[in-house]
Amino acid sequence: MSRPFRLASLAALSLALLAGAASAQTIKIGVNEPLTGPFAASGTYVVNGAKIAADEINAKGGIGGKKIELVIEDNKSNPTEAAAVAEKLITSDKTPVMMGAWGSSLTLAVMPKLMDYEVPMLVETSSSGKITTSGNPYVFRISPPSSLEAELFAPKVDKLGLKKVDFLVINNDWGRGAALDFGAMLKSKGVEVGLVETMDQAAQDMSAQLAKIKASDSDTIVITTAVDQLTLIFKQMAALGLKKRVITTGGSQNPDQIIAQAGAAADGTLHLTTFLPWDPAKTPNPEATAYFLGEWKKRGFEFAGATESFRGYDGIRAIAAAIEKAGSTDPKAIQKAFWEVKFMGLNGPIQFVKTGPAGKESGQSKPQVYLIKIDGGKVSLVEL
Amino acid sequence: MTQALQHLLNTLVLGGTYALLGIGLTLIFGIMNVVNFTHGALYTFGAYAAYLACAALGLDFFLALPVAILAGLALGALIELVLLRPLRGSDMDTTMLVMIGAGIILQSGTLWIFGGVAKAIPTPFPDAPLQIGPVSLSWLRVFVFAAALALIAVTYGLINGTRLGRAMRASFQDADTAALMGVNVGFIYTATFAIGSALAAAAGALLGPVYVVFPQMGDLAAVKAFAIVILGGLGSISGATIGGFILALAEEFGAGYVSSGYRDAMGFLIIIAVLLVKPTGLFARAERIG
Amino acid sequence: MTRHLPLSHLPLALLVVLALLPLGLSDPYLLNALIQTGIFTIGAMSLNLLLGYTGQLSLGHIAFFGIGAYASALTALGFDVELLFGWRVVHEPWPPLAGFVLAVLIAGATGYLVGRLSFRVRGAYFVIVTISFAEVVRLVALNWVELTQGPLALTGIPAMRLGLPGLGEMIFRTKVQNYYLVLAVAALSYLVVARFTRSRFGRAMRGLKENEALALSVGVNATRTLTIAATASAAMAGAAGSLYAHYFRIVDPDVFLFSTTVTMVIMVVSGGKGTLIGPVVGGLIFGLLPVALRPVLAPEAQWIVYGAVLILILFLMPRGIVPKLEALAARRPRAAAAQKPVEAESRP
Repeated sequence: MSRPFRLASLAALSLALLAGAASAQTIKIGVNEPLTGPFAASGTYVVNGAKIAADEINAKGGIGGKKIELVIEDNKSNPTEAAAVAEKLITSDKTPVMMGAWGSSLTLAVMPKLMDYEVPMLVETSSSGKITTSGNPYVFRISPPSSLEAELFAPKVDKLGLKKVDFLVINNDWGRGAALDFGAMLKSKGVEVGLVETMDQAAQDMSAQLAKIKASDSDTIVITTAVDQLTLIFKQMAALGLKKRVITTGGSQNPDQIIAQAGAAADGTLHLTTFLPWDPAKTPNPEATAYFLGEWKKRGFEFAGATESFRGYDGIRAIAAAIEKAGSTDPKAIQKAFWEVKFMGLNGPIQFVKTGPAGKESGQSKPQVYLIKIDGGKVSLVEL
Repeated sequence: MTQALQHLLNTLVLGGTYALLGIGLTLIFGIMNVVNFTHGALYTFGAYAAYLACAALGLDFFLALPVAILAGLALGALIELVLLRPLRGSDMDTTMLVMIGAGIILQSGTLWIFGGVAKAIPTPFPDAPLQIGPVSLSWLRVFVFAAALALIAVTYGLINGTRLGRAMRASFQDADTAALMGVNVGFIYTATFAIGSALAAAAGALLGPVYVVFPQMGDLAAVKAFAIVILGGLGSISGATIGGFILALAEEFGAGYVSSGYRDAMGFLIIIAVLLVKPTGLFARAERIG
Repeated sequence: MTRHLPLSHLPLALLVVLALLPLGLSDPYLLNALIQTGIFTIGAMSLNLLLGYTGQLSLGHIAFFGIGAYASALTALGFDVELLFGWRVVHEPWPPLAGFVLAVLIAGATGYLVGRLSFRVRGAYFVIVTISFAEVVRLVALNWVELTQGPLALTGIPAMRLGLPGLGEMIFRTKVQNYYLVLAVAALSYLVVARFTRSRFGRAMRGLKENEALALSVGVNATRTLTIAATASAAMAGAAGSLYAHYFRIVDPDVFLFSTTVTMVIMVVSGGKGTLIGPVVGGLIFGLLPVALRPVLAPEAQWIVYGAVLILILFLMPRGIVPKLEALAARRPRAAAAQKPVEAESRP
């Protein structure tokens, strides 16, 4: 054995020992997010929020004297990889609980693994109805599925005086789900539903769809997609002289980025959102919001990311609460303890309600939904 | 009727954009027989170069454009010298895969340096659109359209009216004979790849402000560029220009009157149809470039 | 003899090693990675049939893989769709094995049709036609929501089941079971490719690749030969897709990701086009490389290294790893003379 080789193996050995020693005293939480590929920006925001929560918990002494350790893995925005990451986190890193996996197709790909290994996962962003209705008792979700979002929006519909609505949605489970659920809700309120137009996830030019909507006799457009496409849509609407009321859904709007990038084109637009970082005093938990935003700023992250990132923060705090309630790091115990979690998150109380087939229900927390308006580069809460 | 007019106007503007995407790719293929899978990455590179020129150097949009074009020229020359020159004479699959590898590196590098959050490039154009009767379009798109036509014209002139262009065409027809006649074929290949890359970067810098700038922006752009180039016939600049407009027309009216879900399928369906009917593309003239 | 094992024994040695691996390896994460690698390696082997032996580069190969995955999943799950003119098709769930068989048949039939149409063009045009075809198939899977559930994904796909006479039914639920299932299908695919390429068709294919004009002049029917190769290749990719569906138990339009095709092409070209074992070697390297890189590098850096390794292999071994090893093995024993030259299957 040559000298450098021996040195290297010695280093590796001591590293392994250190890691072993560290893991004996920490509680591992797996984080399965897209850090490369098309969803990299969002996944990174969620991870940043998760880190803030972990550091906060550790600064206060951890859980039962043990620090928590996030094991963060990149699922490459690819469902096959998301499943592989879950496999690694559960079997190789031995994380007793996980958070993930941003997009619905990524989360759905992970779910069979949860059943196989009986490990619970907190779902922080995915919106597909299937996630909580397919009878997977290891799933606990804090983001609202579009049916819940539509239900929470329903009381506001009459006051807005909508008559006929067109949809423009991203062509994935999120957009399609929103068009279905909001469409059904609006019809039940006597609002007419006109066009349902879709756009590819990667599309940058929506002029054709918008020209079609411009020619329709609707008064309002409901748009569901992520912030980048929203920015483009507002700019392209302005270019086409399309002046209808806009309501966006889905909670990934990120108004600051819209204001910065779409400018005046975004004036007058309404957005259904799940977090109010502009007005911490009006959030359900002003103290926690102020802390979260302070940390976010201190770490030099772009303010615009806070609306996406808070889910990572709330997610880790919910997991920590479950571990604390369980009093152990046994996956089964944590799964059971999730049902007893009850605390005030950045966006209302986090408490899981049983949904899906009896006997194997998934957990769904009911967040709050706010209607905000962008006007003159400012965000304001619309009180109806 | 107004809707159809608006679709027609959109087609015109989008077609100019698409033509710009296609010409760099078709030039490189036509002369070097390289299917350039870094085209999308170079497009992204141009957009980020313009973004940096505006954000870091404080240049305005019109000065950022030439900076991005020169940066594209330099990166293209580098790629040719380091990756393509040693592989000359190897089969198409090998060069294609090396280009795919380079594309992966460029895209991941962009993500690493700039992060995944989209950036915007500011422009001095007014937000209020240009109104023509019942239809309208943005001033920025008008400028991009004009710039695209100018770049296409310059490229056409370069190929057909300069000594460099003559040497490029000679190398395309028969590299060995051209070399015997004293043409420095190695230099011609480097120049071709650099010019094609500069055109991709120019497209990125022009379209960056129209859309948004992010690491994966090149993926869809590259797919469209391939469609355009195939439509027009590989190696034909006028073909790529017309191909760009055909693709825009198909997408615009496909989304407007058929189904927006199949908007992006239109280009591919046309490709399949064209190749089955006329396997060399609509406007291919195998004997010359231009 | 002990100094260098002859390369002709490599496939058997590899099979033995892979078959014994689960005995010593209990880490489910690595087994999962191997299963995933195995599935895509079968895809790479099927691609090799086309790319390696006929020289036609298809960058739309994922379409057949995806069609196999959807066919198998839908057979096992059942569906209820209304086609044109109110003609309704209702299908009750069938066993997964039927799904596997149908996946092979449907993917093969699609391969036949695509081959018939697209072999009118060659070279770069063929490349782009195949990309276009795969994109169209992806968009159909995305938008035909009634059949495929579009982006809402097909979930709850049952695990593969095999009825064994006298032993009852075997359900492939555990890692180890799925590992052997994939290994068995991979070995079978290897034998099919081997049998195929050594047949009359194989000679015709190689003839077309080396000199199309010459092959035509001695009576090889180019379109027919290429179409048969495309059909077999697509059918095999469909089998891989079926394995994917029943192992991951979810199929959505992301199964058609272009990057997966690229991965399969990389596996074939780096391992050695037109060699039987090349795609397996390339498959193992590029299937496991991301697993090896994951713990050591930042996510973006993993991709950069992946790209760099690809470029390096192509620069150092343009024909691929296996032909390079063959060349090295052939050079060494030259001293011993009278050695039979290593069988060269591909010399473009």
